[in-house]
Amino acid sequence: MELKICHLYPDVLNLYGDGGNIICMQQRLKWRGIQSEVSRVMIGDTLRLSDCDLLFIGGGQDFEQEVLLPDLQSGKDREIIAAIEDGLTVLTICGGYQMLGQYYETYDGVRCDFIGALDLYTVGSKQRMIGNTVCHCTEECGGSTIVGFENHSGKTRLGPGVKPLAHVQVGFGNNGEDKTEGAHYRNVFGSYSHGPLLPKNPAFCDLLLLTALQRRYGDATLEPLDDLAERKAHDAMVQRLTGQR
Amino acid sequence: MPGRIAMKICPNLLSLLSQNVKTVAVTGTNGKTTCSRMIEEAFSEAGLSYFANRSGANLMSGVTTEFVMNCTLSGKMKKKYAVIECDEAAARTVFGQLKPQVIVVTNLFRDQLDRYGEITHTLSNIREGIRSVPEARLCLNADCSLTASLSEDGLPNPILWYGIDGTAGLKAVPSRLSDASHCIRCKAEYEYDYHTYAHLGGFRCPKCGYHRPQPDFAVTEILLMDDRHSEVVLRTPSGETPLTINLPAGYNLYNAVASVCAAEAIGIEQRICIEALGRFSCGFGRMESFPLAGGTRMILVKNPAGCSQALEYLSGIDKEYILVVCLNDRGADGTDISWIWDADFELLGPMSERIRKFYVSGDRADDMRLRLKYAGLPDEKITVEYSPEKLTDALAQETLPVYIMPTYTAMLDLRTVIVHRCGGAEFWE
Repeated sequence: MELKICHLYPDVLNLYGDGGNIICMQQRLKWRGIQSEVSRVMIGDTLRLSDCDLLFIGGGQDFEQEVLLPDLQSGKDREIIAAIEDGLTVLTICGGYQMLGQYYETYDGVRCDFIGALDLYTVGSKQRMIGNTVCHCTEECGGSTIVGFENHSGKTRLGPGVKPLAHVQVGFGNNGEDKTEGAHYRNVFGSYSHGPLLPKNPAFCDLLLLTALQRRYGDATLEPLDDLAERKAHDAMVQRLTGQR
Repeated sequence: MPGRIAMKICPNLLSLLSQNVKTVAVTGTNGKTTCSRMIEEAFSEAGLSYFANRSGANLMSGVTTEFVMNCTLSGKMKKKYAVIECDEAAARTVFGQLKPQVIVVTNLFRDQLDRYGEITHTLSNIREGIRSVPEARLCLNADCSLTASLSEDGLPNPILWYGIDGTAGLKAVPSRLSDASHCIRCKAEYEYDYHTYAHLGGFRCPKCGYHRPQPDFAVTEILLMDDRHSEVVLRTPSGETPLTINLPAGYNLYNAVASVCAAEAIGIEQRICIEALGRFSCGFGRMESFPLAGGTRMILVKNPAGCSQALEYLSGIDKEYILVVCLNDRGADGTDISWIWDADFELLGPMSERIRKFYVSGDRADDMRLRLKYAGLPDEKITVEYSPEKLTDALAQETLPVYIMPTYTAMLDLRTVIVHRCGGAEFWE
């Protein structure tokens, strides 16, 4: 078996260790004898998702997001929307997550249109939401507990067309108000969790990998790994933040 | 802190005290402390009467404290010169009161985004600070496109540029990420003639023409680099000169050439600064040596660019050793530890035979262990010791050389324990 991963704008959307998600996915595949290949798609490159199994988009700084919006809107947006409707597995974090939504409205009311692949929108707020998080994934998203680190000023609101990825126990999540974190639509998983998200949350990582492999091979399974180090790092944060084991 | 109390009583105290002091201020993301210490060494070699602050005291209150400590009861300064390291976020307010004769900007990298915000925000803090002192001479890193952009706003300040030329052939780290891949002016992607490390190097924008300024002081050739020191050829406005830097690693070439540049700007003879660099030892966790195990060196790491540079240095060490990484996530370290995934720990992969053992320590030791595991390093060679005391106990049993990479607060804690263990007096204090 092999898995083809596409990393969109790795040179521009590379904030807060999000690239660690790629390292994590590749290693967890390798330890199971599954090959993987990562194609890095930059500004100006053609994006072809037809032979891709998993798309990853990370977060960026404002300057960097401004750099790539015109490129995204010159064709890549339609390719992404079509692939999502076709069931492509997508993981997208923070700025990348916002960009799949309808629009971003700054605190002073300037609206910036995004690609509209997901029924959600984001409004800038005065205060940044920064800190460690503990969230519980919905049953549809595997039901695992995820720990992460969020750092965003945008408040994201989910429309009826998407469901939350998780519910917040510690932290702000989408907006600091409705206790939702991230979004789930078909095989798209959006989240505000940096950290990076996947290494300390191996169950969630494996859910993504399995979803992608099953789409490509029909019936695929993943053998369990020795996740002692992962569990220790995960549990240490859950305990520190909630006082629970 | 006396500075904080004094500022309450007299908010512009620093500007009153700094009037008759000739100051070199050093700011930027990485290398502030090392560069400041190098400049201090030159001041000392030149026999100037000076004082300096320490890295932990580089905000307005700390800088003011340093000036208060160095004045008489009537408010007269006891010394004529100062070397002041200034936090890059505090530069905006400190520079106006400090009125430095010379400002060195070392570089700009992503650093503790939870504390500093975005990199362009830090850049505008420094820019605003410089605007308040139009007469100060600037020593700017020509190889950093973000730092070099400070000259783009028609600042009246005289500028001395420093850098490392492509001819030096400094081995570039193949970095997975850049903090400045696109033009700060027009947002087109930069082209590079060469990289020295991270986004530093011979950059130019194909669209608007913004490019690396020609440096006045540049390393043109590397004659020797080993795990203890470097020998290079330095081009200066008065010709080429050999330069020995008694400190290893490529990034310290930048600190050294910046200090030569600053010495020139404040009026110290070049020969004196060059002699000082040959004898220099930094201390305080920056390549500091301790007589522990088979010899221990401590290399402070704070952000991906600096950490990758340290890893590049470690990956070039040609003998067996033990590697220790201490990761804390307290305020001064940055509460977000995700940056360890941006640092190229993968560089250690091919060297993992030579590294006999790994220790991870600190509040986030478990995260560090995970990072090493995913960098492909054997988990069974990794030992977790959360506390600095237990870690030091374990290291004291080792006979191989030890390299320790701590974050800032981890360095403070561990250093205290190690210095005590080695029976050494705290020379820094």
